[in-house]
Amino acid sequence: MFAFESVFQCIFAPSSPRIWGTTENADNALSTNTSVVVPSDPAPPYMEVYYPVYYPSPSIARTGNQLTEDEQVKIALRIGLIQNLPEGKYGDCEINTECVICMIDFVVGDHVRYLPCLHTYHVRCIDDWLMRRFTCPSCMEPVDTGTFDWI
Amino acid sequence: MALKFNRNKHNSKIILDGERWERRLQKELMSLVREPPPGVVVDSDQGENLSLWTINMTGAEGTLYEGEHFTLQFKFSPKYPFDSPEVTFIGPNIPVHPHVYSNGHICLSILTDDWSPALSVQTVCLSIVSMLSSCKEKKRPPDNSFYVKTCNKNPKKTKWWYHDDTV
Repeated sequence: MFAFESVFQCIFAPSSPRIWGTTENADNALSTNTSVVVPSDPAPPYMEVYYPVYYPSPSIARTGNQLTEDEQVKIALRIGLIQNLPEGKYGDCEINTECVICMIDFVVGDHVRYLPCLHTYHVRCIDDWLMRRFTCPSCMEPVDTGTFDWI
Repeated sequence: MALKFNRNKHNSKIILDGERWERRLQKELMSLVREPPPGVVVDSDQGENLSLWTINMTGAEGTLYEGEHFTLQFKFSPKYPFDSPEVTFIGPNIPVHPHVYSNGHICLSILTDDWSPALSVQTVCLSIVSMLSSCKEKKRPPDNSFYVKTCNKNPKKTKWWYHDDTV
């Protein structure tokens, strides 16, 4: 249980790394998603706190402080799975020449992530997507199925 | 330049930084101008605002829409390409099609549930062209009048139910 708590603290922390969620003003997230609970007293601007936004499912955006317990578990697991995906430096002769997310050609030395289906993306591009949906953008294959073959 | 898109009318931060977001859209625009899907014409000058595009489409020869002209509007949020673009038909002529509502909203799964950042304006246009071309009978969706009266202005807020993949 202790381990779980520390993971959740990591999710909640407004200063957690950007790749695990977009840092977005909590008020903005509220305005785009009516299903979240609106706090009765909005904080005055000088006390504004920026919470990272998470996507428990692709169409649901919630700030870190508004996730249900199930969603926290789901996102914590997802973070773990993403961290287990192989990454490396883009080499000389690779199959993929362009990151289809930002549509920019890879340059030797780029920090890339390899999915089990062998599609390659910039780490910062694919991690943002995987936090929303756990499929490969190119072939739509679920990413988790092959994970253990790689570890 | 990188800061330019950090705060726009959506007043929210973006995922791709402004430079990469703008670069992807510019690249998509150029490739759409260079190699448009059949019947699609896009003006390379989309004005100041890169987040709103207007695309002209002509019904393909030999289809029910032959010779008709349509206008598509693409709206890109600051979260594009992680978020799908908002795509609607606009203007006086909205195609009469079982998946197109008379207010221009399109029932097409890649515009919501099946969106992937590997898709692009080009592939979305191609899907819409083929959706129109494969139509056998010009008619509105069965729930058109109810939907048009009750829907949100943004088609992405609609909970679509994709059940018919024949057209």
